[in-house]
Amino acid sequence: MEAPQYVAARVQQALAEDTRTHELGIHVDVRGDQMFLRGKVSGAEQRERLGAVAHEAAPGLRMHNEIKIVDYGEPGEDEHLD
Amino acid sequence: MSILTDLRIAAAGDLHLGEDARGSYRERLKGIEERADVLMLAGDLTRHGTLEEGRVVADELRDLPVPAVTVLGNHDYHSDLQHEIAAVLRDAGVIVLDDDGVVIQCGDSKLGVVGGKGFGGGFAGKCASEFGEREIKDFVGHTRQIADAWRVALKEMQVDRRVVLSHYSPVKETLEGEPLEIYPFLGSYLLAEAVDTAGAELILHGHAHKGSEKGLTPGGIRVRNVALPVLGRAYAVYCLNGG
Repeated sequence: MEAPQYVAARVQQALAEDTRTHELGIHVDVRGDQMFLRGKVSGAEQRERLGAVAHEAAPGLRMHNEIKIVDYGEPGEDEHLD
Repeated sequence: MSILTDLRIAAAGDLHLGEDARGSYRERLKGIEERADVLMLAGDLTRHGTLEEGRVVADELRDLPVPAVTVLGNHDYHSDLQHEIAAVLRDAGVIVLDDDGVVIQCGDSKLGVVGGKGFGGGFAGKCASEFGEREIKDFVGHTRQIADAWRVALKEMQVDRRVVLSHYSPVKETLEGEPLEIYPFLGSYLLAEAVDTAGAELILHGHAHKGSEKGLTPGGIRVRNVALPVLGRAYAVYCLNGG
């Protein structure tokens, strides 16, 4: 059986290199027959694509897509550099 | 002696605009002329570095009411179309730095912006050096060439204030939150050393999505990581106070 660390590395590599995603900052954890994806992206479509690519890379695992969608909204407060 | 007025710099990085993101960032730039004198973007404007994505970014930034300056990031290089993407952006009126500088007249003062993508290698005491295999020498040599170009560009500028724009980080403080193991792929101290030698008021960078916003070079220059996931807002505004 492939060690879970290698499975996680393979999935992470797929998320970075697959042309549908190219996402470098997603954390992948494999525990038993479960896989957890964590991180932040700017849209629901990208989260769905990441889930699909991860599932293809490790189809035998039950996936939990915990990636958070962040809305960058308004500019926020200015900082004065004296 | 000239008296400098306050200069307001809007900054963001790592927009990662795909073809499905058309119009989304432009909406957030509404009213930017009320808040800032110039917009600076720290690279990774696209997701895959395709020309189509480059065109999306160009349309988002076209004819803004303030000057827009950008560098490209590693994602913008992914499809080997960085020159084409830069050309599309320039056609839209965006200033694209590629290890060189530009002077922008902001009110009464001349702002010099120097920068480019930057590169990795790590930080003093824990970094790669130009030794051993050709591949390692090339890796470190690439960063060193970039740092040298920035140093020269900064020194040659006859301006009132200087800001450096990069994609990769010049310091490790703004990487806090990223795994230590990948620091050498996130930036290089050679970039900070060059800017400390030549002088600047502020360095902006992106690339490290899990990093921290605020840091300092060893020489005391303020560094800000403006990657959108770090900022958590559409853009930051940094005011360089007048003298």
